[in-house]
Amino acid sequence: MQLARSNQINRLDGLTLGLLGLGGVGAVVGFILAMGSPPDQSQGFVARIFHMHVPTAWMAYLASFGALGYSVAYLVRRKAHHDRVAAAVVEVGLIFMALALITGMLWARPTWGVYWDWEPRLTTTAILFAIYVGYVVVRGAIEDPELRAKAAAGVAILGSINVPISYMSVKWWRSLHQTQSIDLTTGKINVDAAILIPMLVNLAAFTLLFIGLVRLRAIIAAREAAREEA
Amino acid sequence: MQRIFWLAWRDLVLEFRGRTGLLSAVFFLAVMLFILAMAFGPNPQDLRKAAPGVLWVALAFAGSLLAGRAFGLEVEDGTLDDLLLTPGSREWIYFGKLLFQFALMLLVGVVLLSLAAGLFYLPLQHWGWYLVVLLLGSLGYAAISTFYAGMLARLRGREVLLPLLLFPLVIPVVLAAVRFTQGLAEGVPVAELLDWLRLLLVFDVIYVTVCAMVFPYMLEG
Repeated sequence: MQLARSNQINRLDGLTLGLLGLGGVGAVVGFILAMGSPPDQSQGFVARIFHMHVPTAWMAYLASFGALGYSVAYLVRRKAHHDRVAAAVVEVGLIFMALALITGMLWARPTWGVYWDWEPRLTTTAILFAIYVGYVVVRGAIEDPELRAKAAAGVAILGSINVPISYMSVKWWRSLHQTQSIDLTTGKINVDAAILIPMLVNLAAFTLLFIGLVRLRAIIAAREAAREEA
Repeated sequence: MQRIFWLAWRDLVLEFRGRTGLLSAVFFLAVMLFILAMAFGPNPQDLRKAAPGVLWVALAFAGSLLAGRAFGLEVEDGTLDDLLLTPGSREWIYFGKLLFQFALMLLVGVVLLSLAAGLFYLPLQHWGWYLVVLLLGSLGYAAISTFYAGMLARLRGREVLLPLLLFPLVIPVVLAAVRFTQGLAEGVPVAELLDWLRLLLVFDVIYVTVCAMVFPYMLEG
């Protein structure tokens, strides 16, 4: 029974492959659409990095929500599966955070004249990055699986709650950034349709890739755990 | 409720009888401030400008030094298990340790504040407000440092892990406290600075609550 269930979790299923495939194709289509989008009035072709930057940044914050949700689920339900998914979300999220930071810096250089600026969203992403690096380090430092899962859940919960607070604190401290493309609080869209559609395609593609990668990573983690037990 | 105070009291008594930990932390800070004062140069204006940042960064370092004290002795003497075996909920262990950390940080903070006033010419006319920001800032810092110290208590390499986990999380505390202190030092009316205090208060309420809720899960095992 135990073996049968673990096999079910271990299997590389069609859904994961489908998500990864669709996400990969979507990213290519999104790239082509992005290259065809009209140049920005003031920034020119440089602004096209927007199609890469915004979706990766959104994924970074999606990861923070995912890590929070699965960590709370682990503490409540105590299923190893939740812990593995939380870890996978953080690891994949770290990659997207790094991409968001790098594309943000590359974009900042030609438009603001500097690679780094203490802008709220950029700074918050960097802080989040540091918190999740801590998460990965803690996971590496603890050998006992149960203890590791609990400590990691604690770090993820405290870290995710920190996002809005550090965002507000840095926002009051200093501000300079383009207005948000889609204002989440009012639902107002600040972008032209010719740019919005490629952006949404990219966003969908990155979301599919993100979920697919998380599933893949969780499957690998489940296999590792099964092998350790055997 | 009562055992929260007893736990904090016991730890404080042990800390003062042991002396070495607290004294070395205070002297470390004094030396650190001295070196920083030299680095920022003898010009009083430069020093005064740097004072709030130096004060809070030094306090953050002191906090990470002191955080290990909360659970270090328990693990060394094997009394953590006794604490865990005590019947009742486990939040009180967190609150007791938090109170202990908070008291230590306040004490060190007051020493630091007077040192900063001396070495960095930080004007102390609004000493009441300095105390308020010290209270709120230390509480926020201690809430997180106590949580992580308890979580990592039995781990090897916790001395390195603790600051790594702690510092990114307390950035809002340090930022808000530095800004408030800076405003006070520059003579900005307090009414314009109250937002920073509100931010600290929100941070404290959220983190003390969440840490107390999650902490019992961290200790089992």
